[in-house]
Amino acid sequence: MDRQIKTLQDKNSYLDLQKEKRITLLEVLDRALDKGVVISGDIVISVADVDLIYLGLKVLLSSVETMERLRGSPFSGAAEEPT
Amino acid sequence: MVIYTYGVIDSKDTIDETIFGLEGAGVYNVSYRDIGVAVSELGEKMQEITDTNVLKHEEVIETLMTKFTVLPIRFSTIFNTKEELLLIVEFYYQDFKDNLDRLRNKVEFGIKVMWPAKIIKQRIAEVYNKRKFTVSIMADSPGKTFVKEKFEKHIIEKEFEEEAVRCIAVVDDYFNKIASERKIKKLQTENLLLNAAYLVGKDKQDDFKKAFEQLKSTPSDLKFLFSGPWPCYNFITLTKKPSSADYFNAEHMLNRLLAQQGLPERVQHDHEPRYLTGMNGGF
Repeated sequence: MDRQIKTLQDKNSYLDLQKEKRITLLEVLDRALDKGVVISGDIVISVADVDLIYLGLKVLLSSVETMERLRGSPFSGAAEEPT
Repeated sequence: MVIYTYGVIDSKDTIDETIFGLEGAGVYNVSYRDIGVAVSELGEKMQEITDTNVLKHEEVIETLMTKFTVLPIRFSTIFNTKEELLLIVEFYYQDFKDNLDRLRNKVEFGIKVMWPAKIIKQRIAEVYNKRKFTVSIMADSPGKTFVKEKFEKHIIEKEFEEEAVRCIAVVDDYFNKIASERKIKKLQTENLLLNAAYLVGKDKQDDFKKAFEQLKSTPSDLKFLFSGPWPCYNFITLTKKPSSADYFNAEHMLNRLLAQQGLPERVQHDHEPRYLTGMNGGF
């Protein structure tokens, strides 16, 4: 029984870690792709040969929500530090 | 070879620390008067959005932040030549200076607040029904039912928006006294009640974190995402607009700049127009 619980906890902490990494990445993307000094009119970023910066950002917004809904784990406290 | 830019820094000096940027290339300073731009020379024009590339861009900026005030440049901002970059820096010089002064010793924190939109709306609907808001429309015909439903929906949406404003004001109250500036976005999606960025003095970071802990420990339906400290991505304001491409078009402007830098005059072999958009990898 103990063992089972331990495994479960390990699995959860692994998921938490993965989630935290993912949130950190989303937060970085949210800034580095959309904010900061924009000194040129048309910045084209290529994602696997497709140019889709704006589509990317929409996906980004909804993905925070989706992640929250699917995982149902605590949103608060994650990604305390981005690095 | 292209010049990939990470951030504008408040120094014209050589970067002492060895920093490896995208493609493992070294990061160095391209200086203009008393400021500079941290860059790497890369082989590829386009930088794909991969976890590694974006995180590396961020990592370089954060490393630079330990030594300089940095204006982070958006990911994948590339110039064909150093002269083109210098032309841009000359154009925005005063803006860059003003931002560097304003953001000196400051960092950014992100606060995202989620709320259960469906539940909030249900509650509003319940209150509305209890109040028995009779609009003296009896639901005795399909037309009237339609109008009634429309009206109810409108009332609920309106109240939902007002509730959002009230809630945001409560959350914001925890931080706005500590922060020197803030950017607030309300209901970017129904569940994302608030997406905010706060500009905070480095000496006030602990106060800001404490305020968040306080907010988090208050019982509510809200869920929070706290992130930071970040480079000040959300607080860069460039007032100068390159509305006239002439500035970048005119060959004599470039040559004037080259002369300032003590470089030989550039002879244009082709007849390509020098538009601003053409400076970013020719797109």
